[in-house]
Amino acid sequence: MILRHGTAFLRQPPHRRALAGLAAWSVVEAAQTFTTGYALARALDDGFLAGRPAAGLAWLAAAAVAVAAGAYGTGRTYRQVAGLAEPLRDALVRRVVARALHDADGAAVSRLTHQVEIARDTFAGLLMVARSFVFTAAGALAGLFLLAPVLLAVVVPPLVLGLALFVLTLRPLARRQEAYLAADEALSQSSDAVCAGLRDVTAGGAERVVEAGTGALVDEGLRTANALARWSVTRVVALAVAGRLPVVPLLLATPWLLDHGVTPGALVGALAYLTQSLLPALQSLVHGLGTSGSRLVVVLRRLTAPASAPDAVPPASCPVPPGGPAVELRGVTFGYGRHAEPVLRGLDLTLPVGGRLAVVGPSGVGKSTLAALVAGLLGPWEGEVRVGGAPARAPGAAARRVLIPQEAYVFSGTLGENLRYLRDDPVGDREVLAAADAVGAAALVRRLGGLAAPLVPDELSAGERQLVALARAYLSPAPVVILDEAACHLDPAAEARAERAFAARPGGSLVVVAHRAGSALRADRVLVMDGPGTAAGTHAELLARSALYRDLMGAGGSDPAGALGDADGVDAVAGPGLAGDGGHVVAHGAVRQVQAARDLADGGAAGGQ
Amino acid sequence: MAATVPRHAAPSARDGDPILRAALRHSAGRTLALAAVTTASTGAALLLPAVLGHTLDLLLARRAGDTGRWLLLSTALICVPAVLDALDELLTATTTARTTAWLRRRALGDILAAGPRATARIRAGDLVTRLVGNTAHAATAPATLAGTAAAVAGPLGGIVALGVIDPWLAVAFLAGAPLLALLLRAFARASTDTLTAYQRIQGDIAGRLLEALRGARTIAAAGTAGRERERVLRPLPGLSEHGHRMWRVQGRSTAQAATLVPLLQIAVLAVAGLQLSRDRLSVGDLLAASRYAALATGVGMLVGHLNALVHSRTAARRLAGVRALPPVPYGTRRLPADGAGTLRLRGVRAERGGRAVLRGIDLDLPGGTTLAVVGRSGSGKSVLAELAGRLADPDAGEITLDGVPLRDLTHKELRRAVAYAFARPALLGGTVGGTIAFGSFTPPPAAVTAAARAARADDFVRKLPAGYDTACADAPLSGGEAQRLGLARAFAHAGRLLILDDATSSLDSVTERQVTDALHRHVAAPTRLIIAHRPSTAARADRVAWLDGGRLAGLGTHAHLWREPGYRAVFGE
Repeated sequence: MILRHGTAFLRQPPHRRALAGLAAWSVVEAAQTFTTGYALARALDDGFLAGRPAAGLAWLAAAAVAVAAGAYGTGRTYRQVAGLAEPLRDALVRRVVARALHDADGAAVSRLTHQVEIARDTFAGLLMVARSFVFTAAGALAGLFLLAPVLLAVVVPPLVLGLALFVLTLRPLARRQEAYLAADEALSQSSDAVCAGLRDVTAGGAERVVEAGTGALVDEGLRTANALARWSVTRVVALAVAGRLPVVPLLLATPWLLDHGVTPGALVGALAYLTQSLLPALQSLVHGLGTSGSRLVVVLRRLTAPASAPDAVPPASCPVPPGGPAVELRGVTFGYGRHAEPVLRGLDLTLPVGGRLAVVGPSGVGKSTLAALVAGLLGPWEGEVRVGGAPARAPGAAARRVLIPQEAYVFSGTLGENLRYLRDDPVGDREVLAAADAVGAAALVRRLGGLAAPLVPDELSAGERQLVALARAYLSPAPVVILDEAACHLDPAAEARAERAFAARPGGSLVVVAHRAGSALRADRVLVMDGPGTAAGTHAELLARSALYRDLMGAGGSDPAGALGDADGVDAVAGPGLAGDGGHVVAHGAVRQVQAARDLADGGAAGGQ
Repeated sequence: MAATVPRHAAPSARDGDPILRAALRHSAGRTLALAAVTTASTGAALLLPAVLGHTLDLLLARRAGDTGRWLLLSTALICVPAVLDALDELLTATTTARTTAWLRRRALGDILAAGPRATARIRAGDLVTRLVGNTAHAATAPATLAGTAAAVAGPLGGIVALGVIDPWLAVAFLAGAPLLALLLRAFARASTDTLTAYQRIQGDIAGRLLEALRGARTIAAAGTAGRERERVLRPLPGLSEHGHRMWRVQGRSTAQAATLVPLLQIAVLAVAGLQLSRDRLSVGDLLAASRYAALATGVGMLVGHLNALVHSRTAARRLAGVRALPPVPYGTRRLPADGAGTLRLRGVRAERGGRAVLRGIDLDLPGGTTLAVVGRSGSGKSVLAELAGRLADPDAGEITLDGVPLRDLTHKELRRAVAYAFARPALLGGTVGGTIAFGSFTPPPAAVTAAARAARADDFVRKLPAGYDTACADAPLSGGEAQRLGLARAFAHAGRLLILDDATSSLDSVTERQVTDALHRHVAAPTRLIIAHRPSTAARADRVAWLDGGRLAGLGTHAHLWREPGYRAVFGE
C-alpha cells in the first residue's frame, strides 16, 4: 500500500519535475565518477608513462575540475531532494493533523513533531543513497566501457551477483529491523508507565512484578537486536561480493587483457573505479537501504494508517423541516463495544420546544453519552434520535443544536474570533457584546480588553474558558442548546445566570447535564439516570419517586450533609454547622487518562545507535 | 532519609566512567575479540595496496614466475578482510545489544529500588530517557573502544605508507590537507538559525493542534474540523520555506566535504605521476599511493569515532545519576501474627525541599478504626499518608505498625500489610483486570471482581469493549473511573492498614458513600487512614486528625471538631 502511495506521490507533476532535476544534476555528479578512472587512465597512458608529464598533469587537472563540477552537482541535488522531501512532509503533516482532529488523538502531537521528521529525513536519505548508487554505477560502468569494453565482462558479474544477494536479503532484514523497533517501542511504553507510576509500584510492593515484566521487554530487545545483527552479516557479504570481489577476476585476467590491447593505464583506471567509486557507493547503499528503508516503512505505515470509521457530522446546512419537538428519543439503546453492556437501553424522551431538561445521575452513568447522542456525535444501536424534527445525524445538525462540553474550547486568536466561532455570517460587535453580557461574561470581555484583544488560552482560568464557550454558544443560531457540565468551573450563581440566559433565548430549548442540584431545581423536567434504568419527571415527582434522586439532591438518606438550599443561585456549600458536600451531584474533572501511544524513536531510543 | 544522602558537589565528566568500566568488564571477552578483529582487518587493509601494486607491476612486467604467489596473496587480502568485516559487524552489534540489555536491567533495578523518591531527583520522563535511550548510547562504548586502535592505525598507517613509497607523496598529502580544509571552511556558513526557525514553526503547528485537540468535542459538534485543519496548518508554508533553506545549506556543506578527499587524492596522484615519469615509481606504486591517500583521509572518521566515545561518556554520566539514587532499605522483622493493625506515630517530622512539612506529630490509630486526616492544601496530609505506609521515611521520629517500626519490616511483610489508593492512580498491569490485580501478589479473578464491585467499578468495566480484559490504553477513563480502579486495586490487596490519599475526590457524593459503605462492610483491612476533603467523609470516620501548617491542630470526632471555626474553614471554598 505504501508502495502505491509512493508511486502516486512521485507521479504528481511538481514531483516529477523534481525527480527530473534530480536526475539531471546526478548526471553532472556522475561525470565526476566517470572522470575519476578515465582521466587517471589517460594521464598514465598519454602522459606519465609516455614521457609527457605535462599531459599527465593536464588530465589530472581535468579530473580536479570534474570534482568541483561534481560537487556543485551534489549541492544542487539537495535542492531537488528538497522538492520531494518537503512536499512529502507537508502531505504527512496534513494527514496527521486531519486524522488527529478526526480521532481527537492526543498522541498525534508527538507524531507530528517526531515521526514526521523521521519520515522526512529517512526518505531524503534513501533518495540520495539510491540515486547516488545508480549514477555512480552508471558513471563507472560507462568509464570501464570506454577504457575497454571487455572490462565490463570481468567486473559486472560479481557486481550483479552481490546486488542480487543484497536485494534478496532486504525483506528478511526489514522484518528483523521492524521487530527490533517494535521491541524498543514496547520497552519505551512500559518504562514510561513504570517511571510515572513508581509510587504505585512501591505502594503495591510490585517491584518484582515490574522487574520481571519490563525485564522481559529488555530481553526481547536483546533478542531482536541479535537477530538483526545476524541478518546484517548478509549485508556485509553482499557488499564484499559486489564491491571487493571484482578486483580478483580483474587481476587474474590481467595477462589476457594486456594481450588484447588493454593498456596499463586502463587497468589502473579500472581499479580506481572499483575501489574509489563503486565500493563507497555500494557501502552507503547497503547500509542506507538496510536500516533507513525499513525505518521509513514502519514510520510511514504508522503515519498513514487509516483513520477510524467516519464519525463527524457533516457541516453542510440545509433547510430544517419545521415542527416536531426540540428533542425526541425513541427506544434508544447504545453501548461502547460489541461485548459491552449498553449504557442506555430503550430510552424514550421528549423535550418540547422551549423546554428545559436537566439530566442527573452518578458520574460515569452515561450522561455525556446521552448528550453526544442528542448532538448526533454518536449514533444509537437501536432507536431514533431527532432534534428539531430532523434525525440527529442528518446534514445540517450544527444549525439545529449546539453542544458545549465541559472542556471549553478556546484557541489562540482574538476574543472576537473565539466568540463568533459558530457563526458563518458577519456578526456586529453589539450583538456579540450583548451575548457576552447575557451569559455573564461582560466583565471578562472588559478585563481582556475588548473583542479585538488577542486571547492566550493558557492565561484563562477554567471558568473563564467556560464563559467564552457559553457566550459563543449563545450567539449560535441553533435553537437547541446542550450544556454538558459546561459551567462546572463557574460558581453556582454564575452558573444559574448562564442557564437562565439560555432558557430565555427566544424559541430556545435547553438540555443541561447537571453538575449541581440547582440545575435540576431550575429545570421543568428532570431525567435521572441510574445505570440502564432511567426515570423522568418534574423535581417534585422525582423526589417522591426516586430514591437515587433524593440521594443526589442530598435530601434524606444517612448522609449528615442534610438538605440543600440551592434556590436558584444560592451557593449550596455547607454553611456553618452543616456538614454538607457542597451540593456537588457529579464529579469534577472527567480527565481523560488516555495513554498516549509512545511514538517511534522517542527520546532517540528506537534508533539504538 | 533519601533527602539526607549527600549529593555530589559538582557533576563531572568522569562521573560516568565507572559505568563504562563496568560495561567494559561485562563484555570483556567480546571487546577483546572485537579489537583483534578490527586490528587484523585494518592491518590487511594497510597491506593490500602495497601487495596489489606489486602484483600489478609483476603482471605488467609479465614475470610469470612470482606472479602466482602474489596473486594469491592479493586475493587473500581481499577476501580475509571481508570475512573479518562480517565478524566485526556481528560482534559490534551483539556486544552493543548485550551491553545495552545489561545496563537497562541494572538501571531498572536501581530505579525500582529507589522507589517514588527517585522522581524527586530525576523527573519521570527523564528517567525513561535514561533507561531506554542513554543505556543504548552508553552501551556502544565497548565496541567503539575496541575499534579505536584500528581507527588510529588506519590513517596513520596510510600516511606512513605514502612516505615509505616516496617522501614527496606524504609531503603532498600533509601540505594539501590543512590547506584544502581551510579553503573549504571559508565557504562554510552557519545553518543553526534556519534550524531554529524551522523548529519554532514546527512547535507553533504542534501548539495549534494541541489547542484544537483539547476542544475536540466542541469541534466535532460544530462540524468545524475543516476550518480547524486550515487554522492548524496555516504556518505550514513557512515550515516548508525554512525546510527548503535547510536543504540548500546542507547541500552546500556536503558538496564542500565531498571535494576534499578526491582533490587530495588527485594531488597525491599528480606527485606520483611526476615521479613515475622520472622512473622513480612504478605504476603499481602509483596505484598503491592513491589507495593510501584514501586511507589517510580516514582521519575524519577518527573524529567521528572520538565523538561517539564522548557521546557514550555523556550518556554514561546520566546513567551514573540513576546509579546514585539511594535504594530504600528494608528490615528483617515480621509483624506479630495476631496484630490488629495498630499504627503509631511518635514525634514524626518530615522535610521537603529543606522545609519542615510535618512537625512533632504524635498519633495513635488503634486497630480496627478509621482515621480521617483533613487540612488545607499544603498542611502535610499527603506527606503523612506517604509516611504511614512507608513510601518515604520520616526525617525524625518513629512509626510503628503493631509495635514494629516500619523500617524494620521486610519488604514482603510491609507491602502486604499496607494497601494504598490515590487521587490519581497510575494504572499499571496492562489490562483493566490486570490493573486491579497489580501488586505484591496476584489475587484470584473472583477477588478482583469482588474488589471492583466494592469500589463501584464493576459497572463501568463491564461496559468496556472487552470488559476486564480491555487494555488500559484502549479504555479512555475519566478521573473518577481511574480512581475507582485504584480503589479496587487497594481493596483487592487489603492487609492490615488501608491508606486512601484523597482517593475518592473525583467521585460524586452518592458513589463515594457507596464506596465507603462497601469499604466498611466488605474490605478486610481493619485499620484505615483516609485523607479527605469532604466533611461527609470526615463525619463517617471514627476520629479526625486536623492538620494545620504541618502540626496536629486537633484530634477528635468530626462533630466535636466542627465547633472550631478554623476546622470548618478547612472545608470552606
